[in-house]
Amino acid sequence: MMAPKTRENRLLATPLVLYLLLLLGFPSLLNVFYSLSDVTFETLRTPRLSGFGNFAAVLSDPAFWRAVWFSLRFGVLTATVEVALGLFLAVFLSPLLQARPWLLALLTLPIMIAPAMMGLMYRLVLHEFVGPLPYYLFEWFGNSPAFLSPGWVFWTVCVIEILQWTPFALLLFHLAYSSIPADVREAARMDGARGWRTFRRVELPMLMPTLALAAVIRLIDGIRVFDNIYVLVGAGPGGSTTSLPIYIYTSFFRGGSLGPALAASVLFALAAFAGLFLALRAADRRAGA
Amino acid sequence: MNALRWAVLVIAVLVMNMPVIVTIVTSLKPPAEIMSNPGLIVQSPTLANYATVVTVSDRLNVWAYLTNSVIAALIGSLLPLALCLPFAFAAARRGFGRRLLLPLVVNLRALPLIIFAIPIYLMYQAVGLLDTRIGLGLVLAVVNLPLTMLILLNAIAEIPRELDEAAAMDGARTGRLIARIILPTVRPALATAFVFGFITAWNEFLFGLILTTQHAVPMTVGASFFFATGGGGVQWGVAAAVIVVASLPPVILGLAMYKQIGRAMVAGAVKG
Repeated sequence: MMAPKTRENRLLATPLVLYLLLLLGFPSLLNVFYSLSDVTFETLRTPRLSGFGNFAAVLSDPAFWRAVWFSLRFGVLTATVEVALGLFLAVFLSPLLQARPWLLALLTLPIMIAPAMMGLMYRLVLHEFVGPLPYYLFEWFGNSPAFLSPGWVFWTVCVIEILQWTPFALLLFHLAYSSIPADVREAARMDGARGWRTFRRVELPMLMPTLALAAVIRLIDGIRVFDNIYVLVGAGPGGSTTSLPIYIYTSFFRGGSLGPALAASVLFALAAFAGLFLALRAADRRAGA
Repeated sequence: MNALRWAVLVIAVLVMNMPVIVTIVTSLKPPAEIMSNPGLIVQSPTLANYATVVTVSDRLNVWAYLTNSVIAALIGSLLPLALCLPFAFAAARRGFGRRLLLPLVVNLRALPLIIFAIPIYLMYQAVGLLDTRIGLGLVLAVVNLPLTMLILLNAIAEIPRELDEAAAMDGARTGRLIARIILPTVRPALATAFVFGFITAWNEFLFGLILTTQHAVPMTVGASFFFATGGGGVQWGVAAAVIVVASLPPVILGLAMYKQIGRAMVAGAVKG
């Protein structure tokens, strides 16, 4: 009885498995193979195995480490602010959002827009001659920072990311917060807890899984940021906004030797798998405890 | 207290949507006004910029970008449904693939896509899929697999088992069972996954940038062409109008579905 079911299950999974092998499995092998080779666009068919030279080249490239540092700093900073701000808005505005659900649409509009389009919008917003933001800052305060200059650009791209994705955290938190059963809140009130105490003792613990989820998703998306930064400033002045994906992209299309770009993406993949493994193990331990 | 809440709400909405407001306003300004008046009050509103956007030139063709995006996004959102539904049935009803395949698919969400972009570029170059809508759509499907899988898995798990057991008693084979019982019941879930997948695929930029050059350029990449300073600077009004055009489809779909999408994400989070 067991055997035919197993065969049938395999059949049901076959399209998915084939697709994954073709679109992800094979390219991954290609990635590893080429990263160990001496290869250019011209010699794609006849690569020469060269050992770990590409990896050594990447690991000794200061620009690579600057990109790693940028991605980590960007990811941690934006994820933290987005979760904190999203939580505040979801809880503080919840009486309004409960009574008028359509308000949520206004708050979540930014997440429907492509990050690349958002980046292009800021080319307009921040433009020194036609952009309204510098214009009004000059009108009101007589001065405006050069948002895309080396000293400011990191904070500018962080704020852009935060303003687009805080609504994502807010949406998740709003749904989680409004699904807390009324009798839980009622019971807390009976015990004499109110306001801030109810929130800290009763509601916050119930929101924790959603907070962790939003933080992890936003951290991942922050580390792999590409679209909005790339269309706004590219690699940035002096390479100052080179995230890890931008580093890989530019070193690939700069032409010449492909090996280092591929070695960098293999390293990125390994780091992502390691991070994922640790996160899943931590989650398992939580669930087990 | 409620006045304070309203104030916070209004400020949050205005600040977070500020680039959208600026872009819409700029798209309505005639070229002469853009330089002289960077403010948010339009003196002589016009739709001329939109007329320019939809006019085909030898360098820019917004209709082609839109068509490419529609086709690639349809492939990128429908293919995951077809791939995930049969497996989700096996996983939800028989616990099949819960050890390896299911976590693999769900956790694709956590992998940076750039790590696949370059080898896929090289592979596509070899098989002739570079700069094709099919090639782009095939890759966009990767992005949509995780959430589609979670949505379908949850939807199938919610169908009472008695329903398919009764059908099995009647001698229905698994294929018929999925087609007759499961498929109609999970239709709302399929719709949610499809809309969310379409938005995600439409908004994707990196793969479009790397895998297309001329014939299959999607709207997001095509819009960035309008910002290229070829022949005397950016026409800001036209550039603003093209962003509005490129953003309308996902925004309309998203506003119709944002609650279902949010619920699907929360549900996926708890059970995944």
